[in-house]
Amino acid sequence: MRFENYNPITIFIYFLIVFLITMFTVNPILLIISLIGGILFFISNNGIMRFLKDLAFYLPLFVLIAVTNPLFSHNGATPLFFMNGNAITYEAIIYGIFISVMIISVMYWCKCFGIIFTIDKILYLVGKISSKLAIVISMTVRFIPLIKSQSKKVSKVQKTMGLYTGNSYADRLKGSIRVFSSVLTWGLENGINVSDSMLSRGYGLKNRTSWSPFKITVSDIVLILISILLGITTLYGIYSKSLEFNFYPYITEVPTFLMSYISYSVFGLLCIIPFVIEIKEIVKWKYFLSKI
Amino acid sequence: MEIFSVKNLSFTYPLCSNKAIDNINFSINSSEFILICGQSGCGKTTLLKLLKKELTPKGEISGSIFYKNQTLSELDNRTSAEQIGFVMQNPESQVVMHKVSYELAFGAENIGLPKDVICRRMAEMVNFFGLNDIFDSEISSLSGGQKQLVNLASIMIMHPNVIILDEPTSQLDPIASKDFISVLRRINAELGITIIIVEHNLEDVMPISDKVIVIDNGKVIANDTPRNICAALKNINENHPMLKALPTPTKIYASLNNNKDILCPITVKEGKDFLEKNYKSDIKELPINKPSHSNNIAVELSNIWYRYERNSKDILKDVNLKVYKGEVFSLLGGNGAGKTTLMSVISGINKAYRGKILINGKKIKDYKKNSLYLHNIAYLPQSLQTVFIEDNVRKDFDEVCKLMKYDKDAKEKIILSVSEKLGITHLLDKNPYDLSGGEQQKCAIAKMLLLQPKILLMDEPSKAMDSFAKESLSEIIKMLKSDDEMTIIIVTHDIDFACECSDRVGLFFDGNIVSYNTPNKFFTENTFYTTSANRMARNIYPSAVKCSDIIKLCQRNGLINE
Repeated sequence: MRFENYNPITIFIYFLIVFLITMFTVNPILLIISLIGGILFFISNNGIMRFLKDLAFYLPLFVLIAVTNPLFSHNGATPLFFMNGNAITYEAIIYGIFISVMIISVMYWCKCFGIIFTIDKILYLVGKISSKLAIVISMTVRFIPLIKSQSKKVSKVQKTMGLYTGNSYADRLKGSIRVFSSVLTWGLENGINVSDSMLSRGYGLKNRTSWSPFKITVSDIVLILISILLGITTLYGIYSKSLEFNFYPYITEVPTFLMSYISYSVFGLLCIIPFVIEIKEIVKWKYFLSKI
Repeated sequence: MEIFSVKNLSFTYPLCSNKAIDNINFSINSSEFILICGQSGCGKTTLLKLLKKELTPKGEISGSIFYKNQTLSELDNRTSAEQIGFVMQNPESQVVMHKVSYELAFGAENIGLPKDVICRRMAEMVNFFGLNDIFDSEISSLSGGQKQLVNLASIMIMHPNVIILDEPTSQLDPIASKDFISVLRRINAELGITIIIVEHNLEDVMPISDKVIVIDNGKVIANDTPRNICAALKNINENHPMLKALPTPTKIYASLNNNKDILCPITVKEGKDFLEKNYKSDIKELPINKPSHSNNIAVELSNIWYRYERNSKDILKDVNLKVYKGEVFSLLGGNGAGKTTLMSVISGINKAYRGKILINGKKIKDYKKNSLYLHNIAYLPQSLQTVFIEDNVRKDFDEVCKLMKYDKDAKEKIILSVSEKLGITHLLDKNPYDLSGGEQQKCAIAKMLLLQPKILLMDEPSKAMDSFAKESLSEIIKMLKSDDEMTIIIVTHDIDFACECSDRVGLFFDGNIVSYNTPNKFFTENTFYTTSANRMARNIYPSAVKCSDIIKLCQRNGLINE
């Protein structure tokens, strides 16, 4: 089973835990682990080529964020040089680098989440809370392309009647307001039909059930338990101060208690789960193919 | 078993003095295929809505409707939702969810079926309707025909006893609509589900119906089998307008005053038999009138190539076309052949990347700003609602008049003359959304005429029109041609319509116009792609392509045994 085929609840819990830890720690080891995990996951989903291509965007971004911090923050005890009378400190540079690591890793995780968590999965989750809300979301998702194409059609047709083609800004603005209002009327008209269609198919009856293409399986429960266990252990590490790290005023030593080592490895395990699952899947597939 | 029984039913809309439904009586047995027809505005849609409890319009009802011996208004909501399905006209606007799978599940969820039952029924539906390929698709990516099938399937999943359909094929192209009708026939024949359908194109539906109910002015004027319906209508009035809406073979039969012993044909097969057995074929063809148009070229396309994006494939491939001034040219062709794209290129919405277009002898590129659209080209789109922007027709007209810089008197004069010409003076103060399809179209054409065009482009003008609206449209086209010497280019699926109103007909295929000729020659040369009248008569009158041709030929030749 690929990671994206797990139940949406499982996937959601997993991402929630990883996001929480990544965003609320300043420990450099944890941040680097999270970045590596996010990148590995991204590669297993999109391939190495795509990753290399995207570097052209992420590397400059990384440098930009890293450089911005020391330019604006002059905290820290070790000034390296002065710029326009402001101290550029060693601590601020290092802090900038790790803020950058954090932001980039969150971006990678977000990208993976965005690809995997399709609208169906959102609907499933929302539907667990309120089926009405789920229907509203689904209708909205359907309605947006509809409105778009209709307004395109209307403005084209108006153009072929020579209307609203003037170059003046006012004329164009007037045109788009008219088109918008006509599309709105059309949308209302459509809405009446939709509500008729819903009523005639028994919307509003009691005891509505809910169908979705997703099931909760044993592997979902296992993965949920593992994620929670690993997550809580890491959070305990943070809570128990065995992962404490400060950038200002002096950069402290990276903590090396027993609990810190445990937390690093546990968080490492957590971050690498999707990658391992995907790799396992690829290997399995190759193996099946070789048997054919 | 009697499934619906309607007794002395009358219905009046609020604030209306006339009864929309006037003392109607009929009964429908289970497993019957019932076709309801009538002119637009006769009350057939109102009647259908009265049969579905949830959709019953507000107004004054008298009389009674029984569903399985139970008063319909007292029927339990759940039973009503489950057992009586309703499919509406517009495939797009009755879809609720964003994906096919969710849409199928929607009704089943509402009536509270458990998840495993929903899954099983869904699997059944997908197989029955052949939706395998689109099961996981977004609704917005489907064609109209597919959407309408999904709408039907999402009702079938609730296991209804009756399905009521309100002009379900009017927005579909002919192929999709034939497919849809054949699915309905299967549902009726294989599963015994009662079908009650309102349609205006009777060609495909009437042969498979068990009973036809004809409504006129809110009254049932005929209720009989398809074979007898022609005689029933003739009994009321020898030239009853509904006779014109019947399928081609029946229509031809009706216009020839036969003795009553000859069986009334309702399919092309029967019609062919009917002609060959009963009519002589000494005169094979009618004298053909030369098409009348000048020799000046209005629109000339030479070597036109077009594609939507740089990397997409060519939609138009080396198109060459000359349309003369005062000519009506129809372009036929299947879905997605590129007909509408060609229109958009001629009307200057899209620009060809290679080739030359001359409009009235001037390159299309040389028309600056909106000069192409004033006194020149007008484009009537497929979806008429995109033409109107204001909330009443007159305001929309004013907008165009302002653009044309008419002064007050000239404005009044031109609006009056155009509206009188098209017979829409009574519609000027109405909201475009309240008009029927035919009325909407007339108003849209009027708005175009205010621009005083010399060339009129029409995209699928006969779509969703009943036979009366089509007839008046073809009258309008002829009038524009003869009075104003207007050049009219039509793209359409509707073979019969194209045959009726054009000087020349062309077939568009694979990005190009593969053949064109006068309707007579064009359709006689084709074997499949021709009018049903021609298919019916081609053995004895090979060059007859219109109903009226066959009727004339039959009358001149006379009956065999006379």
